[in-house]
Amino acid sequence: MSDEYNQKNAPLEAQSSDTISGTSGTPSKDIDYVRPAELPEQDLYHGHSFITKWIFCQDAKIIGVQYFLTAVFTGIVGLVLSWLMRLQLGYPDLVPFITAEHYYQFVTMHGMIMVVYFLTALFLGGFGNYLIPLMVGARDMVFPYVNMVSFWMFFIAVCVLMASFFVPGGPTGAGWTLYPPQAILPGTPGSNMGIILMLVSLSLFVIGFTMGGLNYIITILQARTRGMTLMRMPLTIWGIFTATALAMLAFPALLVSCIMMTLDKMLETSFFMPTIVQAGEVLDYGGGSPVLFQHLFWFFGHPEVYIVALPAFGIVSDLISVHARKNIFGYRMMVWAIVGIGGLSFFVWAHHMYVSGMNPWFGFFFATTTLIIAVPTALKVYNWIITLFRANIRMNTVMLFCLGFIVTFVNGGITGIFLGNVAVDIPLSDTYFVIAHFHMVMGIAPLMVIMGAVYHWFPLVTGRMLSEKLGKWHFWFTFLGAYSIYFPMHYLGFIGVPRRYFEMYDSPYVASATGLNEFITVAALIVGFSQLIFIYNIVSSLSIGKPAGKNPWKANSLEWLTPEVPPAHGNWGEKLPVIHRWPYDFNVPGAKEDYITQTTPPSEVISAEVEKT
Amino acid sequence: MSDNSLNNLPGGFKGMSHDMGSDQTAFKGVQWGKVMMWIFLLSDTFIFSCFLISYMKGRTSTVVDWPNTSEVFSLHVGGVPVPLLLIAIMTFVLITSSGTMALAVKYGYEKNRKMCGWLILATAIGGLTFVGMQVFEWSKLIHEGVRPWENPFGAKQFGSFFFMITGFHGTHVSIGVIFLFIYARKVFRGDFDNGKRGFFTTMKSDYVAIEILGLYWHFVDLVWVFIFAFFYLW
Amino acid sequence: MDEIQNKEQSTSTHKIGIYLWIWGLLFVLSFFSYMVDWFAFQGFLRWTLILIFMFLKAGLIMAFFMHLYWERYALVNILLWPMTAIAGFIILMAAEAKYTVFTRLLYFFIGG
Repeated sequence: MSDEYNQKNAPLEAQSSDTISGTSGTPSKDIDYVRPAELPEQDLYHGHSFITKWIFCQDAKIIGVQYFLTAVFTGIVGLVLSWLMRLQLGYPDLVPFITAEHYYQFVTMHGMIMVVYFLTALFLGGFGNYLIPLMVGARDMVFPYVNMVSFWMFFIAVCVLMASFFVPGGPTGAGWTLYPPQAILPGTPGSNMGIILMLVSLSLFVIGFTMGGLNYIITILQARTRGMTLMRMPLTIWGIFTATALAMLAFPALLVSCIMMTLDKMLETSFFMPTIVQAGEVLDYGGGSPVLFQHLFWFFGHPEVYIVALPAFGIVSDLISVHARKNIFGYRMMVWAIVGIGGLSFFVWAHHMYVSGMNPWFGFFFATTTLIIAVPTALKVYNWIITLFRANIRMNTVMLFCLGFIVTFVNGGITGIFLGNVAVDIPLSDTYFVIAHFHMVMGIAPLMVIMGAVYHWFPLVTGRMLSEKLGKWHFWFTFLGAYSIYFPMHYLGFIGVPRRYFEMYDSPYVASATGLNEFITVAALIVGFSQLIFIYNIVSSLSIGKPAGKNPWKANSLEWLTPEVPPAHGNWGEKLPVIHRWPYDFNVPGAKEDYITQTTPPSEVISAEVEKT
Repeated sequence: MSDNSLNNLPGGFKGMSHDMGSDQTAFKGVQWGKVMMWIFLLSDTFIFSCFLISYMKGRTSTVVDWPNTSEVFSLHVGGVPVPLLLIAIMTFVLITSSGTMALAVKYGYEKNRKMCGWLILATAIGGLTFVGMQVFEWSKLIHEGVRPWENPFGAKQFGSFFFMITGFHGTHVSIGVIFLFIYARKVFRGDFDNGKRGFFTTMKSDYVAIEILGLYWHFVDLVWVFIFAFFYLW
Repeated sequence: MDEIQNKEQSTSTHKIGIYLWIWGLLFVLSFFSYMVDWFAFQGFLRWTLILIFMFLKAGLIMAFFMHLYWERYALVNILLWPMTAIAGFIILMAAEAKYTVFTRLLYFFIGG
């Protein structure tokens, strides 16, 4: 900020503690100055009964855990569905109840659950709720009641989604993109109740998420503690913030397409339905535009990819910084890269539609924007690697997962560059190459971050450490297993094995594809079962884990600095914390310890050569 | 402008970089509830934009003729068809209610309880009139045979988009009317003068709630401006 | 809390005249846009008039009734920049719609 305003003594004047060359007052008082609070303390509702404390709870931390557990539950359902798919692909006709209809239903539900109900809810609902108030130094979310309603809307949405397994015809089998016209026509599995419940569930999810998203955005923008400028927030918060902003602007397109498709199904309007002849009979539909749905869907769908990826980027930056004991390289560049990716993500959606029959000129435009968005993404990868360069790395489970993330993300990102180019995409689209690409880049990579983040923040949530030994087993099973699943899929894609095929029958590539498919299936089963190590680790550590104490990782950011661990309702006890620096002051020359927490005033570390933040 | 400390801050883009670079709040002096309403309206703008973009795509790409809206929506006054008469009246009603709402916000901040309450009530009645006229318009079209799935005047999509977009807008108006009545009662009861705590929240009531309600109501009017231009005048 | 300053919020009231002026202008502009249909202007002229009146009305409502004119730039910019995404969507969808109708005419009536 400019100097001329620093001199004024206006009450609302921002004056951060970096103005070491202050003009008046005693030096120690001056360098520790943080301008006074603007807003009165937030009044919180304290629950008294079991129901208001644990069920309809207004504490963001409990809501975060509720989101987390619900999302993990749906994620496990999605995992089991993927096993069933893999069993059919690896060993056709081994399991008699997996018919073609069931296979498509599993594919659809696996995709939708994993993208929307698992990853989005977990990152924004779970980590967002838990970490935002703690990391920005707020007592709670700004609207605790709305936040509670948000979770229960999500819960109802999950219930509606799960209910679709039990209705006549089963869940929809239209593929997770739900493309009309086939999604709502007879012949597609679950084209009656299944698709309707799916659309209703998505609409409920959007409504519930909007309530939560308003909370996240406004807590970050308007309820930070004294001294917490935007450029002193941990990158986790930047990632979650930008992702939430994207969600607020992208989910409307999903809601609109859901409403229109529901009308197409229930009132026989023709928004997306062209004239169709079915079994020699002309249907009542006519004049609609199927490609419109694809545009609406991907106007939501592409930002959705970044809704999942950006929190992962943010969280992994913090984990790397803490466990490499080094400040994140290029913090401001990282922030602007996150914001830039967020902005650009609204202009790249049709690279999912190169073969859809859209305006042919679009390929040129969207390939260009897609390649442009690779630039800030690559910047982030370089910065993670430079952060690790000559760092004091702790090779623990968290760091292993971070390294796993970087490798996986680079892999998935590079195949993304292949697919972003029209000429390369056309032969590769709808093959297993695409499956491999997006599972690497937005399946495995964010999952690595989630698991690393669980190992990192478990001591904060429960007060106990997770077992390192089990954690390393878990990492190696997951990492190597995931690579054995998805690496061969790139090859399957190159030889032209199409995705979404129930069976290969007597195709010419059957010889080399069969063996690989069996291998992938076995790997998928092993990786899935190895998650039991993780679950066992969590459950057993709840009671027998080593007590963590305060700040076990020696981190700087605010969430570890609460008076009680795990933090109590209201987070901060009597007084809100006051922030003097960014959360990345690790191994500062001249400081006594290798970390300086965000609340340490400059007068206590007078000889340390800290970065000006 | 009353004298308060915000006036000491720089304005314009310099002020923007100052606010964004400062701690605690990014929007200086804007209450949480008001930011929430603004961000919600931004999200809602995207919903209506997506509806209208779909409408544009649907209307442009249909090969069946689109009905002539100024004939379809005309009213017969003494045997003479007057184009878009009802729509024009609806537009004026909505703008009137928007004006009364703006004045209600002003009187609310001046803590003029009576005036604020009556103006909110007037706004609510304006909104109710609008919804009533929309019901009349819908029933007229339904009598003429327009349905979401078919339309005697031309392209099928006309009925679909008409009922969906005006229906979604009408839902917004109806929700607004309900809240206007609730808030009129609250104003008359004096909740905003004595800072009574709300039913769902532990935060104190304040006249800023009237401005937040006003934002929503003006947004409904704003959307109607676009629907009027794109759906009726195109 | 002794440290709290600025409990008073920014929104101060404005003279009633400005609201009445804007109100009147909105009526006049709505009347004008209705007249566009009344006189049945067609083509480019119609579109220009419709859009001008629409944006003027929307701008007046946002700026004065919704107080955006008096808000600080931080809020204004955060609210208005996302509209570029919508603008991009509109432009691209207009191009797409033209292409769709072109292919339909080509295949349905001329015959591919």
